[in-house]
Amino acid sequence: MNLVRSELLKIRTTSTWWLLGIGAFVATALAFAVNAWLAHTVLSGRGEEVGVSGAQASAPAQAAGLYTSGQYLGLLFVMLIGILMVTNEFFHQTATTTFLTTPRRTSVILGKLGAASLLGFGFWLATTVVDLIAGAAFLSLDGHGTQLGEWEVHRALLFNLLAYAIWTILGVGIGTLIPNQLGAVITAAVLYLVGTQVVQLLFFLLSNWLDSEAVVKWQVVWPAVASQVMISGEPSQFTPAWWVGALVLTGYAVVSGTAGVLITRRRDIA
Amino acid sequence: MSDGQWSPSAGTGQIVVSGLTKQYKNVRAVDNLSFTVQPGRVTGFLGPNGAGKTTTLRMLLNLVTPTAGEATIGGHRYADLADPLRSVGAVLEASSAHKGRTGINHLRVICAAAGLPRQRADEALALVGLTPAANRKFKGYSLGMKQRLGIAAAMLGNPQVLILDEPANGLDPEGIRWMRGFLKGLAAEGRTVLVSSHLLSEMQLLADDVVIIAAGRLVRQGPVDQVIGSIAHGGRVRVRTPQAEELTAALREQSATVDADGHGALLVTGADAPTVGRVALAAKVELHELTTERPDLEGVFLELTAGKAEIR
Repeated sequence: MNLVRSELLKIRTTSTWWLLGIGAFVATALAFAVNAWLAHTVLSGRGEEVGVSGAQASAPAQAAGLYTSGQYLGLLFVMLIGILMVTNEFFHQTATTTFLTTPRRTSVILGKLGAASLLGFGFWLATTVVDLIAGAAFLSLDGHGTQLGEWEVHRALLFNLLAYAIWTILGVGIGTLIPNQLGAVITAAVLYLVGTQVVQLLFFLLSNWLDSEAVVKWQVVWPAVASQVMISGEPSQFTPAWWVGALVLTGYAVVSGTAGVLITRRRDIA
Repeated sequence: MSDGQWSPSAGTGQIVVSGLTKQYKNVRAVDNLSFTVQPGRVTGFLGPNGAGKTTTLRMLLNLVTPTAGEATIGGHRYADLADPLRSVGAVLEASSAHKGRTGINHLRVICAAAGLPRQRADEALALVGLTPAANRKFKGYSLGMKQRLGIAAAMLGNPQVLILDEPANGLDPEGIRWMRGFLKGLAAEGRTVLVSSHLLSEMQLLADDVVIIAAGRLVRQGPVDQVIGSIAHGGRVRVRTPQAEELTAALREQSATVDADGHGALLVTGADAPTVGRVALAAKVELHELTTERPDLEGVFLELTAGKAEIR
């Protein structure tokens, strides 16, 4: 518990958190504007124009999207915080002090993982509160009701929370695997932002080549895809059930967390 | 310390290094090194650059895993200490704080992790005279202030053992004098103080004991006077006399070696000062000066580590 407090204090006493916080807020605002326009278009019966139809065109589905606005970049930001929690120690050579204070290194990493999930929760809470207030107001004014009683909306909010916690933990894992600050941040950001498109393209090509549409579902092995699958809930011809995504994402968090502990235990701090 | 919780009976505080070895890919940085460090004394840990001082200290503190051997503090390996910061304080490198964090927050983070009360941060900062810079960010600190912050961090738990790696680096003469008084004071309270350095004149003023290593191996350990004396024993006697030829002849009869120093004095090796005096008396030679040339720590160090300081 002391270690979690110490890790949170480390974050509070530098400018990292509010810089990324502002980033997440701006991302949320922009995403909300886009989603609001989308919801308005779809719910006024012109869903075909923007390529949304079927279950996705329902009011609860659109509300769920609206209430989780900013998630795409928000997850990137919490992952970056997780990465910085570890790489800062090497970049600023504070690892020495940290491990002198707590020679049991497993506890140090567990403390970071604990603090990371709390931070993920904090970011989720902040963006969700903003989304709920703005979204409820928008939907009511647009004449669709707040949709806050719908399970689909609750589900989206809850899984969004899970995603925030897991992505922060993933960040900690990545930080221990790539202790070089710049290297870790750039690798993670590129993989998250560009990698997903590349992976989707690769699986599309693979499915064409093998002449099997089922292969495309395997793109869920990519964490960002798994995350989308978990949150969207509705399986489609290209995506497996939500729990497959949840399982894959949890698997990544467990593996990277464990690898982080094992690597950190062995590493010489010079 | 203000809270005075620490007492010498809390433990022996002895540091024991035995058979410590660190093998990097191509270099044996530390090679079967053994020595002990006693409480109540300042021990200087000396060696040329690259001798393995820092690696040894980092193995002692569980930051680097030894290839072989063991190091204990008060009978425990550092990793096994129940409450490390309350037992051992270490100052390893001056730059180990987040650039954007203030000095006081740096200490508060450590207090939180170690379960120490928050006001210890303020007390430790006051102890090293850094209170006026408490809320300044670390990147604005001078090298001397960074060293003081490092010492403040080490003193947070009011530890029995202090380990410092090159603490005099970057300090101005005033800062060095402050550090000397500070460390001597801690040793006088019965604490163990181990200080690595390559500033030999400073060490001669500060240390009670020295451990000298070169190329990863122990060269000599013991009280400063004794280590210097071990060389001085075979050292030279300077003697000044108006009857240089008679004395030279008499001393050579005693199989001592006599050379002129070029400034009118004789340098005698192979006979100590009392012997030279006796020989002079027997030969009825008048003496104007009779001094044992005691080499300083620097001279001893250079002699002991000669040829061992090459780049490895």
